[in-house]
Amino acid sequence: MSLELGGDRAELERLATAVEEFAQQQGWPAAVVFKVHLVLEELVINVMAHGGRGGDTEIEVAVRSGEDLISISVVDNGVAFDPLTEAPEPETSGPIEDRDAGGLGVHLVRTMMDDVSYRREADRNRLTMTTPKS
Amino acid sequence: MELTSDNTGGAVIVKAVGRVDGANARDFHEGLEARIGADGESMVLDFEGLTYISSAGLRVVLLVAKTLQQKDAKLAVCSLSGSIREVFEISGFDKIVPVYTDSGEAVSGLGL
Repeated sequence: MSLELGGDRAELERLATAVEEFAQQQGWPAAVVFKVHLVLEELVINVMAHGGRGGDTEIEVAVRSGEDLISISVVDNGVAFDPLTEAPEPETSGPIEDRDAGGLGVHLVRTMMDDVSYRREADRNRLTMTTPKS
Repeated sequence: MELTSDNTGGAVIVKAVGRVDGANARDFHEGLEARIGADGESMVLDFEGLTYISSAGLRVVLLVAKTLQQKDAKLAVCSLSGSIREVFEISGFDKIVPVYTDSGEAVSGLGL
């Protein structure tokens, strides 16, 4: 599946519907569908919130279902940002007073996906990753 | 996403059904805030009917846990699906918000 999204939060619903339809077609197990939903939402929201393009935001989401692996790519026209090296590492072990939800989205993506890779290419951020199909 | 709640001796049990994502996390937050009781009244989030939560929803869980702590009350969660439990653990939330198998266990676990 591939989808082009703008910068409005309402786009999240379109994304969720598209993922749901594609997952059904492909017959993915529920845990895999959950993971793909989550990762795409986290990445797209980050671009909407921090990409700095407002109403001119362009995000291209592509998901391919291979034999054993699902490959995901998210390309956006936001400011250059490598979530693998530039996102803050969230506090995940201290007491409640020290916790902050910032950075959790990227942390979830890095932990749950494999082969996560970032490239800045033609003024766009390109993030790719894979996850097993089952 | 729908919330329903039930007050059971010293704690409010809130059932969340459906999905909590970046599009409705604000409603989730408002719904939970509105159900926070008097000082000392703890809250149990029953996620049996919850099919999805992203970091936008986790942020709300954290904010509510912080508010309750300031009110000398506790937050617990119960009935997590495998995927939601995984997200909880990766985020380290299981270390600050106790996780129970069902609401009965949560109520007794909170010492109520």
